Amino acid sequence: MDVKLPQLAEGVEGGTVVSIMVTEGQAIEKDQPFMELETQKAVGSIPAPSAGVVTKIHVKQGMEVNVGQTLISIEAAASDTPAAAPAVQAAPSAAANPNQPPTPTGEQSHSSAQAQHAAPVDDFRYQSASGMPPPASPAIRKIARDLDLDLTRVRGSESGGRINMADLRAYVRKLQDLAVQNPAPAASVAVPSSASRPTEPIDFAKWGPIRREKMSPLRRTVSRRMVESWTTIPKINQFADADITALLALRKKHSPVYEKRDTHLTLTSFLLFILGRALKKHPRANASLDEASLEIVYKDYCHIGVAVDSEGGLIVPVLRDADKKNLFELAVDLLALTEKSRQRKISIEELQGGSFTISNQGSLGGGYFTPIIYAPQVAILGVGQGQAKPVAVDGKIAIRTILPLCLAYDHRVLDGADAVRFLKDIIAGLEAFAEADIKLK
Amino acid sequence: MEPITTEILVLGAGPGGYAAAFYAADKGKQVTLVEQNPRLGGICLNVGCIPSKALLHATEILRESKASAARGIVLGAPKIDLEQLRRWKTGILDKLGQGIKTLAEHRKVQVIHGRGHFEDSQTLRVETSKGQKFVRYEKAIIAVGSKPALPNAFDLGNPRVMTSTGALEIPDIPENLLVVGGGYIGMELGTVYAALGSNVVVLEALPAILAGVDADLARPVMRAAQKAFKEIRLNTKVLKMATAGKQIKVTIEMDKQPRDEIYDRVLVSVGRIPNLADLGLENTKVTKDDKGFIHCNSQQQTEDPNIYAIGDVNGGALLAHRATREGRIAVEAILGEPSAFENIVIPAVVYTDPEVAWCGLTEAEAKEKNIGIKVAKFLWGASGRALTLDHPDGLTKLIIEPETERILGVGVVGAGAGELISEGVLAVEMAATARDIAESVHPHPTLSETFMEAAESFYGTATHTLSRRNES
Repeated sequence: MDVKLPQLAEGVEGGTVVSIMVTEGQAIEKDQPFMELETQKAVGSIPAPSAGVVTKIHVKQGMEVNVGQTLISIEAAASDTPAAAPAVQAAPSAAANPNQPPTPTGEQSHSSAQAQHAAPVDDFRYQSASGMPPPASPAIRKIARDLDLDLTRVRGSESGGRINMADLRAYVRKLQDLAVQNPAPAASVAVPSSASRPTEPIDFAKWGPIRREKMSPLRRTVSRRMVESWTTIPKINQFADADITALLALRKKHSPVYEKRDTHLTLTSFLLFILGRALKKHPRANASLDEASLEIVYKDYCHIGVAVDSEGGLIVPVLRDADKKNLFELAVDLLALTEKSRQRKISIEELQGGSFTISNQGSLGGGYFTPIIYAPQVAILGVGQGQAKPVAVDGKIAIRTILPLCLAYDHRVLDGADAVRFLKDIIAGLEAFAEADIKLK
Repeated sequence: MEPITTEILVLGAGPGGYAAAFYAADKGKQVTLVEQNPRLGGICLNVGCIPSKALLHATEILRESKASAARGIVLGAPKIDLEQLRRWKTGILDKLGQGIKTLAEHRKVQVIHGRGHFEDSQTLRVETSKGQKFVRYEKAIIAVGSKPALPNAFDLGNPRVMTSTGALEIPDIPENLLVVGGGYIGMELGTVYAALGSNVVVLEALPAILAGVDADLARPVMRAAQKAFKEIRLNTKVLKMATAGKQIKVTIEMDKQPRDEIYDRVLVSVGRIPNLADLGLENTKVTKDDKGFIHCNSQQQTEDPNIYAIGDVNGGALLAHRATREGRIAVEAILGEPSAFENIVIPAVVYTDPEVAWCGLTEAEAKEKNIGIKVAKFLWGASGRALTLDHPDGLTKLIIEPETERILGVGVVGAGAGELISEGVLAVEMAATARDIAESVHPHPTLSETFMEAAESFYGTATHTLSRRNES
């Protein structure tokens, strides 16, 4: 069978082959990764859809490949399964950030049913395994053509996903509501993203030797997302300090037990634990804004993205259900995720669905900084390095370890008071961490 | 001499050209239609679809009468009056041609009879029987069609070596007719001549007749033709031809050995070429591809912004209904309306015995493009209607997208397939699913039921077939 590049995630149409992990003639297990692909979103590995022997490799390292393209051929060992790769059909995920162009980064993609229902002007993209245009009658296609509408963006409600007049009308209605009620985003659309902004070419070589390097797909995505976030979100940066002297002492005491169990008791693990609980108490900080329906989408889950500095650039894997895990589980999961990110083995799913993000620069020695919010999340916590500082304790000067914090938040959803209360709970969590929560059961 | 001025010039009055001219006139444009043939209608009406179908229909009774004896109705030997057959056929063409002329007059489309030659991007010179005329236009639509290819090696200047144009005239009933090329034109005309009594031998260079048609759809045609024709030879080439008195000596390569055979007439049906020679295109910005067809965009516009091209001159499927659709698109584009050729399907019909018709994705195309599909089939042997028509050798099949059950293509072989395919066209264009077809009541007893039963068989629930599910 020919193994084709499956639909990896919505909006991902292809990528660059980073490495090929098999050779012709090699036996391969079902689900065994055979290739690494760098997409706009991440580097991910492609698993074999069935077991067998690799008879041919159709691609080379460094090659650009598209969804549906044949990657390798596998001669089935025993069972003769149909030759379709495990193509994921246009996953009905819907990012609740309707004003932004499609192709969200993997880090952010909602799957809340609520958001999906409320926002047809979402990231939906019709994709057919057969390469067919969206299913719609000639009359509907004519209307779409006359109005210059892209039917691949319209969700069909009929059997086989067929688009009827009601679907088209609902789509146009949403677009109109959006334009009328929310003129600001329309303006922001007009703001060219950094990727498309035509700037005067500058001859840098005039002033000395230079070197040019193509932006990687990941870099380009980060760049575009940052511009979008910066230009669309009215943001407040709230600074705070936390005294982590006691926490560090606890960490020192319990760290060896964690090390023995092959994991590290890092400050980020503590933060994940504290944030998981704090976000439950302050659900607005864990919410998203659905501009199409003018609703705030509250999430019962708490998936926290952790910014990781990798060779390829910034990657933000998402740690699921941080509110439900104990400190040990968080430490284990965090270690696994960061390792995978650094080894570029993270899957696209693992980059999606985050509801809040931590960016911890402590290990690099960073101080205060103002992080950029990952839309459609509404807040992000920036963490610097804990520094020994003289502070007043009970009227006396004492040397304490002070952790610089900055909560950046979307003022459309969170007010200053909300943010301060949320931040105070985070600080309290850090300053009075219960030893019982560290102890391994 | 003062040139004639017009808003839209259409060159060629075939099904593409006259449809475009009429549509433009209906939209309020001033239109001039230039046609070299005295009878409007182009290839389709004069030397294509219409005369060939007239002959196929007229000779059908000859084929039927042979089969009739087995049904207990024995007919005597037929008497064939070729002159009357030609007169009847010409009568149809005249009636249709006159109809187009009347429609043009009522729409105030100015028709000039003569041969057109582009002087520049906005001027056409027309050589008429009354001398030269010049037409100055704002936009032109080229719709001059194609003609049968006659390779130099076969072009003896002898009328016994015919193309489809000559064969449609039925100059006589040759005792032995060689058909070079087993494509749809050769197979259709072979069917006509075989019914009239000729011993028909078809030579095809490829390993199968009806290139491009799915093998299971071509098979019943092959079986029937093997009975009706004297012989069908595949993988065989004609090396050369020579006049031999009142016959043609044909040198054929068989098993790598040259072999001479004598035929009374030869029909060369090896493809068609666009009528673009001597059109003065070099005086415009129009460009052609490496096969000699005009290059144009999805709005039918050529590289010359004033000139559009529709139909056979653009290559692809040389079909009248495609040209008609393209004609409307070209007019809409000229009028500045949003328009583009984005029909999903262009149906095709081969009027052999039995007929073959298909639309949308074919099984072969899916395989070639590596598209995962499921095929649902219904064999006509289980259709009551097919048996009462004494045509059990048929097949209806649906090409289905497995994930969505959407119908991507339909193929039919059997009596009346050309009429049946339209339901398939509607299904594909409407993005119908197999469920939609299975749930639609089809009248009994008709051949259209085979469409529903094929859809049902996708779910393993066809009334008149056993699926593996039933058997297990």
